[in-house]
Amino acid sequence: MLRTMWRIRVFEERVGELTRANEVHGLVHLSVGQEGVAAGVCGLLRPDDAVYSNHRAHGHAIAKGAPLGPLMAELMGRDGGLCRGLGGSMHLVDREHGLLGATGVVGGNVPLALGSALAGRLAGGDQVAVVFFGDGAVQGGIFVESVNLAALWRVPLLLVCENNGFAEFTPRSAHTVVERVSDVVAPYGFPRETVDGNDVVAVRAACAAFLEDARRGEGPFLLECLTHRLRGHYEGDPQRYRQALADEEWQELDPILRLQRLGAGEGWLDDAEPARLEQQAREEVEEAVRFARASPFPDPSLTAGLVYAS
Amino acid sequence: MPDALPKERLTWMLTQMVRIREFEERVKRTFEDHPGVIRGHTHLADGAEASIVGSLAALGPDDQLTATYRCHGYPIALGTDTKALMAEIYGKESGICKGYGGSMHLTDVGRGFLGTSGIVGQGIPHAAGVAWAAQIRGKGQVVLSFFGDGASKQGAFHETLNIASLWKLPVVFVMENNNYQAYTKVEQEDANAAVGEPLAVKAKAHSMPGVTVDGGDPVAVYEELHTAVERARAGDGPTLVESKVYRLSAHGNIIAPPGVPLHYPEHEAVKIFGNVEEYEAAQRGDPVPRFRARLVTEGTLSAEEADAIAEAAQKEMQAAVEFGLESPFPAPEKAVDYVYA
Amino acid sequence: MARELPYIAAIGEAVHQEMERDEAVIYFGQNLALTEEDPYVKAFGGNRVRVTPISETAEIGMAVGAAFAGLRPVVQLYMAEFMLVAMDQVVNEAPRFYGMTGGEVKVPIVLQAGYGFTAGWAGQHTGTIYGMFLGVPGLKVVVPSTPADAKGLMTASIRDDNPVVFFHNYLLTLEHGDVPEGEHVVPLGEAAVRREGGDVTIVGIGWTVGKALAAAEQLAGEGIQAEVIDPRTLAPLDLGTILESVAKTGRLVVVDQATRHASAAAVIAAEVASEGFSSLKAPVQLVTALDATIPYSQPMEEYLLPSEAKIVDAVQAAVGATVAA
Repeated sequence: MLRTMWRIRVFEERVGELTRANEVHGLVHLSVGQEGVAAGVCGLLRPDDAVYSNHRAHGHAIAKGAPLGPLMAELMGRDGGLCRGLGGSMHLVDREHGLLGATGVVGGNVPLALGSALAGRLAGGDQVAVVFFGDGAVQGGIFVESVNLAALWRVPLLLVCENNGFAEFTPRSAHTVVERVSDVVAPYGFPRETVDGNDVVAVRAACAAFLEDARRGEGPFLLECLTHRLRGHYEGDPQRYRQALADEEWQELDPILRLQRLGAGEGWLDDAEPARLEQQAREEVEEAVRFARASPFPDPSLTAGLVYAS
Repeated sequence: MPDALPKERLTWMLTQMVRIREFEERVKRTFEDHPGVIRGHTHLADGAEASIVGSLAALGPDDQLTATYRCHGYPIALGTDTKALMAEIYGKESGICKGYGGSMHLTDVGRGFLGTSGIVGQGIPHAAGVAWAAQIRGKGQVVLSFFGDGASKQGAFHETLNIASLWKLPVVFVMENNNYQAYTKVEQEDANAAVGEPLAVKAKAHSMPGVTVDGGDPVAVYEELHTAVERARAGDGPTLVESKVYRLSAHGNIIAPPGVPLHYPEHEAVKIFGNVEEYEAAQRGDPVPRFRARLVTEGTLSAEEADAIAEAAQKEMQAAVEFGLESPFPAPEKAVDYVYA
Repeated sequence: MARELPYIAAIGEAVHQEMERDEAVIYFGQNLALTEEDPYVKAFGGNRVRVTPISETAEIGMAVGAAFAGLRPVVQLYMAEFMLVAMDQVVNEAPRFYGMTGGEVKVPIVLQAGYGFTAGWAGQHTGTIYGMFLGVPGLKVVVPSTPADAKGLMTASIRDDNPVVFFHNYLLTLEHGDVPEGEHVVPLGEAAVRREGGDVTIVGIGWTVGKALAAAEQLAGEGIQAEVIDPRTLAPLDLGTILESVAKTGRLVVVDQATRHASAAAVIAAEVASEGFSSLKAPVQLVTALDATIPYSQPMEEYLLPSEAKIVDAVQAAVGATVAA
């Protein structure tokens, strides 16, 4: 988990730099600060478990096993990207690793995951479907339409809300009077839990309990992870709508530092290990950047051939 | 809890219930007596009269409402001329919407009946918009949003309740739960109903009160609505009221292409699910005779007074049918009017 | 072997046969499969055939997700307008993934949507709205006009790897016609020449194909031979067949039940003006519904719609306006 979080953190910071250098273009949403959720949940999943993500997808993709080279190449719009450069940051798909789809419209991915969960049940296996969404998606009608069906049909679906307190640029208090996202599903009576999303151990423990039941065909479940989006909604967001956290506050919250403190305290992490992991991640990410830069841009005629499936 | 209702108010309630029933029966009978006069899809409010009248009884003169395509009952109780309503359903120029809307889109802006969407659930956000305007104007108006149980599975319902709760809009959401989403039983399509819960629990998701009331008892409905309306008027926000009713006719007349005579089929309980007992029990609980008997038994009205109400309604609705039949169709070239305001 | 079937039954037969042929085909929507006695439930079980609540956004989104996972969902929407409640899923999810993922993800779904019920359904349930979906790359739009095509095009739609909106016309619901038994596929994107003639080309769409054929018969009595073309699929559009005909006749009348502005008829006219200008001997005539919300009342409703008489007038205008080449 610590390795995964370091890989996400370093990757995201590098993407931020590349965005400012205009090597990564378009709208980019980073998940710095929210690594604990991706690592805690995806670390328990198998490649045949379907994961759906949203516009803030890089961390989920990395945690689900997507290779960093093609991932970075996709963000740079290269032919060697996960989607040959046609999707970009918001539309990452890696079928091999079970990352079935990241959608750019808030809440649009929730019924897709419901469909995957249903398909999994029809196929007769014990795979589950997991969908990540932000607290902003919960106010969308599509969310409750999907939740009613998931509860009615009892499908093995794990709804993971990354509640970072902001729907895009608007604080949660301006979106709803309901304090917890998990309260929105209260009328449906299925298991739900709210955890500190910056505590990767807590995320993993709650997720593991739900997954055990989901693999027996039960569901749905809602895991609400209270997180903090360290960066703006998108890269370049001036963030006039909120106060930055003081450094010392963030030191307390940072999921990576917390796990390292825990590891040191419990004695399973030696002092040099964090630096090694960070360094390893940096090397991998630099290799990914080299891979991406070496990959050509796709031939513009590619799009014409991709209108209809054949 | 409001004060006990005076005799005039109770009499008004019964009168409106009887008028709505008589109107709906005339609409239904038109399919047999005057084939071809009513086209398209028509939805009747028989069985919901107590809920409609009890709800509207809680409103003040400047309050407003929106409803669904099952919309004949509200304007009748509000005092819209039943001749204009029947003429609309017959597609005539003298109709309340000049023949442009028909059965599903009755509207009477002057009486606060602002609009009826033909699409399930989509009128709910309209009501919230009306309530927002009322909130801005600050004159203490309240808006009722009428919809069915099926609409509570629409995203629009969820989206709207959230916003209304957040903004403390002066709106009351009145869900007329008749146990059938068109032809589907509510427990086949609703996660709460499937485990035997009232649909009012959905209010929990929006931090607003949710109550369930016997929609066959106009006084009980009035009391719940009165509480909810006054809460809304005081600026304390919306309430979800689940009013349990039983629709005594089928969802609507049969759906058929032109040339096939339209008629009302049997209720879905019988026609699809073969549950004659359920339907007969509903008929025994018919809220109109039930309320009449109560008022007579309690001495509020004499049997003669109650009969006179029924006779007046029959006469009124006979005149409405005749007016509708005699009225001319609109000139065809008017079809392109009302494109731009 | 063919035998007579109503249009709507031909569609149902295609869905049924495809469900038999391919286990990946699932079928769901509102108000269907209500009892164990439902023929689809009996044949395929309650897992592949399901009733849903009125939640179009969730229904269509769920179809997209099931398609990601390899199924071929057919969503019964009844009224085309109900798609408008879920436009994000129809326009901005289902058809986007194939291109967006560089061909990684296919979304083979069929949205079965009835339209054009100009039979007193007033403003919100009578729309002929296929034109709205023509400008969405990746989305196919199918408009059968006969029972046989209804079956063949539905079969092709289910087998197609793309999202397809299958628009069936409610006015044609009970129209009978010969329908082949067993497997019957009409490829998407191929127009049919319904009647041959050398004086004028009439393109009819859906319900208006029958109107165009009736008008052509009337015109034949006046010595005008009309060629009637049914595109059958509006996206992709078989422009070649239309251009070939116009090259022969030099005149084009396009008939569309939809309102004129941004209609399929306008698109066809523009394409012919652009690609076949040198063939044209007269201005293209459009016979469409007038631009207004469909009124409830019958006389007004009829006034708005295309009719045999309006088609005849338009053809006469096209022939009369002929300029020397």
